Amino acid sequence: MIGADLAILTPEIVLSLFAMAGLMAAVYTSKDGLAPALTWGTALLFVIMAFYIGITGEGSRTAFDGMFVEDSFSRFAKVTILLSAAAILAISQDYMSKAGLLRFEFPMLIVLAVVGMMLMVSAGDMLALYMGLELQSLALYVVASLRRDSVRSTEAGLKYFVLGALSSGLLLYGVSLTYGYTGTTQFAGIIAASGGEMSLGLLFGLVFILAGMAFKVSAAPFHMWTPDVYEGSPTPVTALFATAPKVAAMALFARVVHDAFGGVVGDWQQVVAFLSVISMFLGAIAAIGQTDIKRLMAYSSISHMGFALMGLAAGTAVGVEAMLIYMAIYVAMNIGTFAFILTMERDGRHVTDISSLGAFASKEPGKAMAILVLMFSLAGVPPLLGFFGKYAVLTAAVDAEMIWLAVAGVIASVIGAFYYIRIVYLMYFGEERKGLDGRMGLATYVGLIAMALVIGLGWVPGINLFGIEGPAEIAAAMLTR
Amino acid sequence: MADTGAEVPRLAGGPAGWVSILIPAALFAWFAQFLGPVAAGEVLLIGFDWVPSLDIRLEMMVDGLSLTFALLITGIGTLVTLYSTSYLGAHPEYPRFVLYLMAFMVGMLGLVLSDNLIALFVFWEVTTISSYLLIGFTSDSAKSRRSALQALLVTGTGGLALLAGMILLGQAAGTFSLSEILTMGDAIRGHAHYDAILVLFLAGAFTKSAQFPFHFWLPNAMAAPTPVSAYLHSATMVKGGVYLMARMTPTLGGTEPWFWALIIAGGFTTVFASVLSIRQTDIKQVLAYTTLMALGALTLFIGVGTSAAIKAAMVFLVVHSFYKAALFLMIGIVDHEAGTREVGDLRGLALKMPVTFFAGALAAISMAGIPPFFGFIGKEFLYDAGLEAETARIWITGTIFAASVLMFVAAGIAVARPFLGKLPERFKDTHEGPWTMWMGPFLLGALSLFFGIYPDIPEVWMVGPATDAVYGSDVDVDLYLFHGINAAFILSMITFAVGLVLYLAHQRLRDGLARIIAANPIKFDPGWDRTLDGLRAIAEWQTRHLQSGILTRYIFITFATFAVAMAVTLWWQDVLNFRLDVANELEGLLFKHWAVLLFITAGAILAALTRSRMTAIAALGVVGIGVALIFIMFSAPDVAITQLLVETLVVVLVAVAMLKLPHLHVRTAEPHRPHHALLAVAVGTVTTLVMVAVLQGNLDLRLTEYFNETAYYEAYGSNIVNVILVDFRALDTFGEIAVVVIAALSAYALLRGTRYGTIREDGEALRDTVDDAVLPDPAARSADGEGRA
Repeated sequence: MIGADLAILTPEIVLSLFAMAGLMAAVYTSKDGLAPALTWGTALLFVIMAFYIGITGEGSRTAFDGMFVEDSFSRFAKVTILLSAAAILAISQDYMSKAGLLRFEFPMLIVLAVVGMMLMVSAGDMLALYMGLELQSLALYVVASLRRDSVRSTEAGLKYFVLGALSSGLLLYGVSLTYGYTGTTQFAGIIAASGGEMSLGLLFGLVFILAGMAFKVSAAPFHMWTPDVYEGSPTPVTALFATAPKVAAMALFARVVHDAFGGVVGDWQQVVAFLSVISMFLGAIAAIGQTDIKRLMAYSSISHMGFALMGLAAGTAVGVEAMLIYMAIYVAMNIGTFAFILTMERDGRHVTDISSLGAFASKEPGKAMAILVLMFSLAGVPPLLGFFGKYAVLTAAVDAEMIWLAVAGVIASVIGAFYYIRIVYLMYFGEERKGLDGRMGLATYVGLIAMALVIGLGWVPGINLFGIEGPAEIAAAMLTR
Repeated sequence: MADTGAEVPRLAGGPAGWVSILIPAALFAWFAQFLGPVAAGEVLLIGFDWVPSLDIRLEMMVDGLSLTFALLITGIGTLVTLYSTSYLGAHPEYPRFVLYLMAFMVGMLGLVLSDNLIALFVFWEVTTISSYLLIGFTSDSAKSRRSALQALLVTGTGGLALLAGMILLGQAAGTFSLSEILTMGDAIRGHAHYDAILVLFLAGAFTKSAQFPFHFWLPNAMAAPTPVSAYLHSATMVKGGVYLMARMTPTLGGTEPWFWALIIAGGFTTVFASVLSIRQTDIKQVLAYTTLMALGALTLFIGVGTSAAIKAAMVFLVVHSFYKAALFLMIGIVDHEAGTREVGDLRGLALKMPVTFFAGALAAISMAGIPPFFGFIGKEFLYDAGLEAETARIWITGTIFAASVLMFVAAGIAVARPFLGKLPERFKDTHEGPWTMWMGPFLLGALSLFFGIYPDIPEVWMVGPATDAVYGSDVDVDLYLFHGINAAFILSMITFAVGLVLYLAHQRLRDGLARIIAANPIKFDPGWDRTLDGLRAIAEWQTRHLQSGILTRYIFITFATFAVAMAVTLWWQDVLNFRLDVANELEGLLFKHWAVLLFITAGAILAALTRSRMTAIAALGVVGIGVALIFIMFSAPDVAITQLLVETLVVVLVAVAMLKLPHLHVRTAEPHRPHHALLAVAVGTVTTLVMVAVLQGNLDLRLTEYFNETAYYEAYGSNIVNVILVDFRALDTFGEIAVVVIAALSAYALLRGTRYGTIREDGEALRDTVDDAVLPDPAARSADGEGRA
């Protein structure tokens, strides 16, 4: 029996063993000398695991008495998480070695965080969820302060930790209330107990759990950590924060509200819609004044999470599908953008101020065009992929009769477009000052150009968004069955 | 612009120039082949699946309306690109210009041909983006950058409103296919969301076609190079909104809100713009405002919606495209050769630039509405339709009359002023532009005359089918130059007379208008700047007050949100109506209870007020011990012991950690923080209320009952907690102990091993900073914007 359970967890187990073995190997050999090999090895393993999950996974299986669920939804999320984490590792190598941060712990901590994420999206039980969440968070707290001799990096780590712990507390409080009123922590049990009339205790449990998860997706008003942590962390870590954990947290959000509270959609729908609107507007407006591109991306991600939550707020299978498509497109755009941010250099130093982009287009027309594509896509300008993501969530909201939400989303995306276009404006029309002079390594170059191509060509007739909506639809159907 | 002598056999633009001319020319030829079938009443659909998963199919619908637009876009496009080879061919960025222009043309064609609403929107935004790039093409001018951004934001916003409207319409109709939606007008007009759809569509159309109150971006957008103005802001892009309104007439039109919205916005724009056009001194601006006037008139007549009105609108659409593009190109040549567009400076250029003058004169006569030009026919039809309108006849006819008079004056200002009169000294060396430049205005001007004499040609091939498509059924269109002495003809004659008088007095008129406008308190351009400033102010506020970088404040906000969320939930659920017999409850409290309560409260207050870390920790320990005492009083000594142990451990660990921390300067500036106290009280109150309310409900007691029943028989223990810990969940307990031990060990290692290294201060603390240069250059602000208007 336990053998069968373990077989279901093969990818997670392989990754955990790899992390431990990697740590040991590095400690007992050349320590940081092994870091490049470990980084590439980890990225490769992530890709292999993604293919393994994508190809071998079939149907829906549970392990450990329903604590762990392996279904099409978790597979979609896991493949996205693994591939994006692999991409981030690949593009961060150059930066890390230049900044003297190429420590062997970095890839290993990311492996642990990724295992946590995989457990999160596969959780079938509140406690399994919490374990996954904490495994992820603890690893991420550490990588946030990876540059430990820097005040900014440690400040980022500390802020992340304190606020993260607070949110975990809220979440746990909610879990215990839920447990008190349903007598179970399993999603299947909760959905059975919460059907029909919902007791007050359970309702408060739900509110607490939603607040705790809102922290993890950095939805306003629980977003406070995001800009500071994004700015203070080393850039590759920021790139990671912007991608894989967001997918994991969003998938977790979807799983909890649908798997555990799918019977009382009306009770959480308004809360999620509220989080969505606040996030979209706060992210859009606050980003306008930013001078630092990492902070700008932080607000951008807050706003994008608002859009993804809009899909979730619809409370339908179409909504979940829209959310998954949105997240996949969002991740692709962020990988491309961060591949560029990682190589923003002047006189051999990494810079992140937006003004250094002035007149970049006249020096590097190719790269500038790639950034233009990514920025317009982030802004949701048709016909780039970002637009189709927004279109999908807007349609889902309208379908669910939440027209006010869709209209709010449209207004927020107009305001948000302002700062993405400002970057393009600076690159093309900006004043020429002492601009960027760094060279791009192969991996980052490939990352930037490949993502720009994906985003720029995904709409071409015949490509049809690279067919992601097929798996997304199956995944969504699984969750909301 | 140093390439004035570019009269060489080969094009100045090089290969990019040739490509830019051949593409529209080829497309023009391709579309021309549909003229026959469409004139015969066919509607052609050509298409393929685009993004099937989102139900987006790319399908072209070629009917009278879209074909008319497509031919105008490609035909005028060919002439404009030819013109651009000389106007901009020597510009170092000319290939980029060609790229933008071609992107724009593709977008515009897609817009008018799409059968799918979403595809239409996509192309709509393509035109917005490419026009942004084109308006800002001369990027070294702050004014041109500001205008580009303004055009982008205004039309982009409208575009998104349009998207919302399209999604709603798609929901209401159950399809996104235009050709299907056009057949279900009654169902849409009766739909519950009709009003919302209408408002959103009109928001899109009005911003794109610069209808009042969204008109202000168009005159500013004239900062673009002249070919761009001629092409985008006169012949094509700004007509996108008109196209949309015409296209949606069978579906959305014919209702009261549609009628009044269009005739009021259209009529007001018409009069307002034609008055302002007289006020301008820059001839390009004169033309810009007459374009606004034309867009207003088109909106007005589409709104009227009778067959005569639609016919008039379609005639006027074609008429206007010809003469206005010609005039823009003409003033571009003058600017190019003479170096100015100021009406006060230009004089007597007719002999120096005879071909340009001739072409401009043809177009201007058409614009003034003088027979036998096509413009005359257009004006006659407008008058006819206005006089036949059933509602608001005086408003419509009056509007058109005022506009026609002022158009007459504007035509005079645009052509008679610069070309006639005595040639000043400074223009002695001015000469004719190259053939590539005058060819466009010449052909367009000539067509204005040709179509006036042979009105059957545009009637059969363009206006007739277009009118049928918009009106939804066959309309008898018969264009003729002279149709007897009727009311419209008499109005025309009065128009000429009044126009002539006003033209002669136009300088005094301009000064008077300038005074009136200066006194007008409502200004749109500064309003625009204020909106952007306001947005930035919000961003700044959020930075200063929310994202301050201070962790305490983040936690404050988190708790505040928490308290509000709880309070709102309580209020919504309406659960605070339970009865709590407070008097009775208080009576039940014994002295020991009061003592413990006091103990806990004192500890909490001390922890909040003290400035010493150690005192605070100790005080919190007191609170913990108080809680343990409560457990003892309610006969749960095991729990109490656990609580005591944990409490002690926590106090010791934190105290040790704190001893290791560097000394912190206690800020004396803010000794007491009343808002923190307030929040603490709020959170405490709300949490208490929640707990009291929640405990009124039924806990799931299955597990408690289970242990109650089985504890003694299975584990021989009467204390459930003990039994659970050491029997039922013994392995868990073991695990927990192991975790505590590991945690303690690592804490020890950490505390022992910590050395204080030097920490690099690599910049300021993490917080938002606000860039002062975010918004468009202040230098380009509206100092000259509305003031000129």
